[in-house]
Amino acid sequence: MSAGVGIWRCASCGTGYFPERLLCPRCHGHEFTPDRVTEAVVEEVTVIRHVLGQTDWAPRRLANVRTINGPRMTVGLRDESGPGTVVELFEDGTAPFGAAKA
Amino acid sequence: MFNNAAIIGVGQSAYVRRPQSGQSTHTFIRDAVVAALKDAQIDGKEIQGMAVTSFSLAPDTAVDLAWRLGLSLRWLLQDTNGGSSSMNMLGHALRGVETGAASPILVVAGDATGLSGYAKIAANYNVATREHLAPLGHGGPNGVYSLVTTRQMNKYGLKKSDYGHMAIAQRAWAAKNPFAVYREPLTMDEYLAAPMVADPLTRYDCVPVVAGAQAIIIAHPDRVPKGRAPVRVRAIRNSFNYDNQEGDGLQTGISTFADELWKAADAKPSDIDVASIYDDYPAMVLAQLNDLGMIPANDLAAFARRDIGERRRPINTHGGMMSAGQPGGPAGGLNGISEAVLQLQHRAGDRQVKNARRAVTTGYGMTMYRYGGTAAAAILERME
Repeated sequence: MSAGVGIWRCASCGTGYFPERLLCPRCHGHEFTPDRVTEAVVEEVTVIRHVLGQTDWAPRRLANVRTINGPRMTVGLRDESGPGTVVELFEDGTAPFGAAKA
Repeated sequence: MFNNAAIIGVGQSAYVRRPQSGQSTHTFIRDAVVAALKDAQIDGKEIQGMAVTSFSLAPDTAVDLAWRLGLSLRWLLQDTNGGSSSMNMLGHALRGVETGAASPILVVAGDATGLSGYAKIAANYNVATREHLAPLGHGGPNGVYSLVTTRQMNKYGLKKSDYGHMAIAQRAWAAKNPFAVYREPLTMDEYLAAPMVADPLTRYDCVPVVAGAQAIIIAHPDRVPKGRAPVRVRAIRNSFNYDNQEGDGLQTGISTFADELWKAADAKPSDIDVASIYDDYPAMVLAQLNDLGMIPANDLAAFARRDIGERRRPINTHGGMMSAGQPGGPAGGLNGISEAVLQLQHRAGDRQVKNARRAVTTGYGMTMYRYGGTAAAAILERME
């Protein structure tokens, strides 16, 4: 696990994207520099309680979050954070997660 | 406006919740094609073009399907744009016939993924889903649209029961559709007591995956069987990746072309007698209707309670995918188009809307990351 979530920032106009793009939708620049976002505000939360084909499923909390100076993204929540909560972001493999700031 | 191309026939296979031994995507597609050819009174040898969409045709492609169906063609298309695939194929086929590229053209959509097959598709929908959503246990599109639905409820003041009006109304229509997989009446108490799937979506908010197929035939209007009205498309528009996934998903790509669509059709929302709105989730039906300008004052809650709850508007008269069933994602849109055709040809049986003359149909889909990125709409008209 690593702190923050990697995003891609357009080298031309500075806009941050997640997931990765090939061209910047705003200026169509083709070069991106890696950046990290470390905090976000929770906007909506859901709990995935049932998944097709799964018989032994433990509910999982997901949220739509607005990152600071970055894009909106969907994260897994590792605690009971609700809408309006500021969460710290971290990555597990290629998946973004969040939990309330200590 | 298409003057030399029209929809002249429709056909569908049985819809089943689980494909049985011996049933496959290919056999369901075959059954729909046979039904459509019979309905249009067209010999298979006459078919010059075919368009197909399916999540579960692979490793076969369109030409393999042509081979398996014994169709030698000069026009062929395979569409991969999810819930708006059928609308895309309709537009391409109309232009193909209108310009003389091929006629008749068979448009077919079918899927028989089964539950495990659908789960694999949902987890590998695209690179973004595979890398950033599936590892979270997002549960496929249910997880994505649960967040969109919460946003819509917050923005428009919708209650859970408002979505229930749609599920109940469509179930009542489905009771009159012998092909629908769910035909038993649904009450508001049952709707509200249904098990939660992905908050706030309960069982009746999540479109049931079925196995089945649908087909329509496009040809010159003169080819319509005697005693039947051809169905013309007055206008059709599409949108792809309308906002780069940077909005809230409460508007669809339809919002980018709705005004142009109505103008091109020389029609207005009040002219519409029947609507087939792509209904993978109730929230997206309201979003599409709103984008089309069919919800007065953008008051989604009032529309849900009055126009849908009191059955003032015939919407998804086959029961919608939520009650009739969704064969995969891409195939689902064609049943709405077929239903509009049956209504405009006054062949919808017990669910016939009296004197139906104009319909609107939509497609919506390809959940790229936070919501769908493809959308389409068409205005259909009965030719007298």
